[in-house]
Amino acid sequence: MRGLSSLERIIVECIGKESLNYNQIQFQTGLQENVCFNILQALIVRGILSTDGVNYKLSQNISALVLEEINCLSSRQAESLELIEALIDQKDERVFKFQKIALDDRDEKIFKAMLQNLETFLVDCHKKAQGTVPVKSRKVIFWGMGEVNQLMHQMVKGIDL
Amino acid sequence: MTLQKKTIQRYRQLFPNDTLREVSTRTGIQITRVFRLFHGKNMKVGELEAFETVITNKIAENPSFSRLSCAVESASSLLTNDELKKIADYVERRISHKNFARGYISTTQSNLSIA
Repeated sequence: MRGLSSLERIIVECIGKESLNYNQIQFQTGLQENVCFNILQALIVRGILSTDGVNYKLSQNISALVLEEINCLSSRQAESLELIEALIDQKDERVFKFQKIALDDRDEKIFKAMLQNLETFLVDCHKKAQGTVPVKSRKVIFWGMGEVNQLMHQMVKGIDL
Repeated sequence: MTLQKKTIQRYRQLFPNDTLREVSTRTGIQITRVFRLFHGKNMKVGELEAFETVITNKIAENPSFSRLSCAVESASSLLTNDELKKIADYVERRISHKNFARGYISTTQSNLSIA
């Protein structure tokens, strides 16, 4: 598998530029003990994390090849899909809306403007609360819009990476 | 990795809690011989077949697997390389999540036994 799985990404994001011990990482991510431990070990084996036996931090000398693998578009798309799929499969307190909407040009412009407002609002929320809300309690939010005709055409044509 | 190691690893994935006695019962191979095989002794063709038969029978219990096999066969001749890559990535990610949740991790470079 290329790139990071969304579980690995959570740990990498949780550590960020800091140096955290196992308990802090487990608290921040909310992962089960063995899962958290296994992911940490896998990240160390791949050279993404380093440890002094107590604390874990991002490796200073991650190779350019690994960085490219982690950050390439297809890997990030796959990570997003993992989270979206998990959200769709979620049983309790699921918030998910998917509809085909008839929008004329004027309404489409209004909708896009509302999305921009929404994005600004979310960026502000994140700035305000990122220091206090642990990674495990953050919300996964996504949106998108596409034209049915274009999407159907793309599905028939196949993926063009 | 040799075919023998792959077969034993596959067997262990399907029957992670089997004791040597249970392995012996399933495969029909003597318990002392099973111990040796698990410690790297070379397998005879008949023993490899015995393990393969147990693995195949176990997999056959899962009806979705045959669907998946048929789909993979059709996909390999119909889908583009990029589409196949996307499916392979998806399956590999699902497997890696399972591996994280179990007691060990398989990496592409080496096999690391953690618990």
